[in-house]
Amino acid sequence: MSQDFAITDHKVLVANRGEIAMRIMRACHKLGVAFTAIYTAADAASGHVRLAQEIGGEKSLYRVSSYHDANELMAVADDALCTALHPGYGFFAEDYRFARRVTKRERRMIFIGPSWKIIRELGDKINTKRLARSLEVPTVPGSDRPVYDEMEAERIARTVFEFQLQQGIKHPLVLVKASAGGGGMGIEEVYDIDNFRSVYRRIRNYAMRQFKDEGVLIEQRITDFNHLEVQIVSDRSGKQPVHFGTRNCSIQSTGLQKRVEVAPGFSSRDLSYSFDADKVLDDIVAYSLTMARKVGYDNVGTWEWIVTRDGSPFLMEVNTRIQVENGVSARISRVRDNADVDLLAEQIRIGLGEPLGYSQEDIATEGVGIEYRLIAEDPDNRFTPWSGSIEQFHWKEQPWLKVHTHVPTDMVYEIPSDFDPNLALAIIWGKDLEEARQRGVSFLDDLCLTGKSATGEPLKSNINFLRANTERILRF
Amino acid sequence: MFDVKALLDEIKASPFRKIIITAPHTGRVNFTSVQPGERVTGPQGLWKEKPGTLLATLDRERNPKPILALEKGELETLYLDLEGCFVEAGTPLAVVRHYMTRTEVQNELLKKTLHLFTAPERAKYYFTPEIDKKVRASGSQSVTVHEGMELFIMSRMKREVPLHYAGPTGAIYTVYVEPSASTDAGQPLIGVCPPDQLTAIQEAVMQVQTEWKEEA
Repeated sequence: MSQDFAITDHKVLVANRGEIAMRIMRACHKLGVAFTAIYTAADAASGHVRLAQEIGGEKSLYRVSSYHDANELMAVADDALCTALHPGYGFFAEDYRFARRVTKRERRMIFIGPSWKIIRELGDKINTKRLARSLEVPTVPGSDRPVYDEMEAERIARTVFEFQLQQGIKHPLVLVKASAGGGGMGIEEVYDIDNFRSVYRRIRNYAMRQFKDEGVLIEQRITDFNHLEVQIVSDRSGKQPVHFGTRNCSIQSTGLQKRVEVAPGFSSRDLSYSFDADKVLDDIVAYSLTMARKVGYDNVGTWEWIVTRDGSPFLMEVNTRIQVENGVSARISRVRDNADVDLLAEQIRIGLGEPLGYSQEDIATEGVGIEYRLIAEDPDNRFTPWSGSIEQFHWKEQPWLKVHTHVPTDMVYEIPSDFDPNLALAIIWGKDLEEARQRGVSFLDDLCLTGKSATGEPLKSNINFLRANTERILRF
Repeated sequence: MFDVKALLDEIKASPFRKIIITAPHTGRVNFTSVQPGERVTGPQGLWKEKPGTLLATLDRERNPKPILALEKGELETLYLDLEGCFVEAGTPLAVVRHYMTRTEVQNELLKKTLHLFTAPERAKYYFTPEIDKKVRASGSQSVTVHEGMELFIMSRMKREVPLHYAGPTGAIYTVYVEPSASTDAGQPLIGVCPPDQLTAIQEAVMQVQTEWKEEA
């Protein structure tokens, strides 16, 4: 299909919600590609519904029973005559069976993401680990497949504890996580092997409830580290992957969910590190590209890394999809001196079959980008999600600021309880780290965000947490 | 204790409720030969194993989903203009005028007599594994709850937190919460019967059983 169609002949089903749905719609609009959006009853007031009504064409918006129901997506795609599907992030974005179904069904469509075989190979944390080890890419010690048996799980945990003691680690830790999980959900630490079974059972039960799969992974918990990412982009040929630099996502909630992302991953120009930071960045980029070439990676993807205090990188996983934080990499990037880089538009363009059209030499970076995730939550109480209504939400427009949000700014908005209470992404650019930080704090100071819960309690948000952590951005 | 007679009189004054049948998901609608004004039946049999009257089919991905009457009554409205159309989830397809059954009246009564432990916010609620096991094995009335007892797991926005029971000690007489379905804030999760009210509640239920005449 892609060979016969110009991209403007395509129509994309936006199989997601909220701000990412809006960014996909805007990217399609910019490329001249038609789209169809979907929403559930709980999301009727979301900005993505309004945007679809404003800029969408014929059959551009459908109400569905669930974003998780593949049959709904296929039925809507058929009725709206969509030729491609963009999964966004979450939901079906890393489900190879879904991607395969999209591309193999009777009325075939293009899945705007890597091919299903690549998702199957890299989307599975275990396969990724095996592939990485075969290419001598360093990975975190632990199980190399999901564990379903309690005795086996305990045996692996014991081995990982012993391994750490042999390494001279005084307080060894084991991480127990839901194999089918992601985004920091369903993860707990074990400090003592005697507590392992109770934690294992809790995670297994949680995994069963949330993901319908009770498989659990057991890994060494590395405590003193930075979380880095490499942004990879490659067209359908899969032959010449390029990177759009690195990101540092070390500022996270206690549940290991990202709250601030910074590009580039380290800044040796502005800060000193106890290791050769530029070499670490070069190494993780090189490792990521090696793996991307090996599998013939053919869309956008992110290689996630742990970097320890001594500068040792370990591959955590590959996210075979667009990331929430893609915009912060785009913000500091230039392609042939064009500063208006849009990785979502790039993903759609190459996903629909266009060649990338440039090489690594054409890509440069400039300055520092910070992305804040504005979330209704209580950082003082284990980042517990807050639910209620947003009454006021506005900020001061700046040339160095982009805000992506699905929260309407001209009406009261009730946060749906079915999803994370993410409100907005704010991307700030500065010529150097200091300027980016100053601008970040200035944005947060000027931000107006108010609301109240059903019981009249005022909104809780992470603004103070973001402000307090801006100072330590990129510090190790 | 609640005035059972007053409640029955109130319901008798307006014994019908309108049931709007909506499309559970997207799909193409095809109505059957049932026409507005005709009588329809809801699920029947000891285990409700016999389905209600087929009103329409909703075809999606070549899977025809039967759209059935959920209760017996008169088919008041059928949105025949949707015949052959692709409809969105939640689109109204039919309206049934339903005369309340004895069980429904009894449930209304119980909601007004039992101590209702309600959802503090919109979320999905699950019994804790220990309680769940007991409810499945011996029924909800085998579980006695007391103030401060960890009873539910509240799941919202992908986070789970324990929910402790608040209210009088008693047996779980009725379970309202449905696993995997979201419950709105203020909606009852369980109805609790304190031991000293058990006899009165059983008598009230008996009164409904004898006094409420079901539609033929």
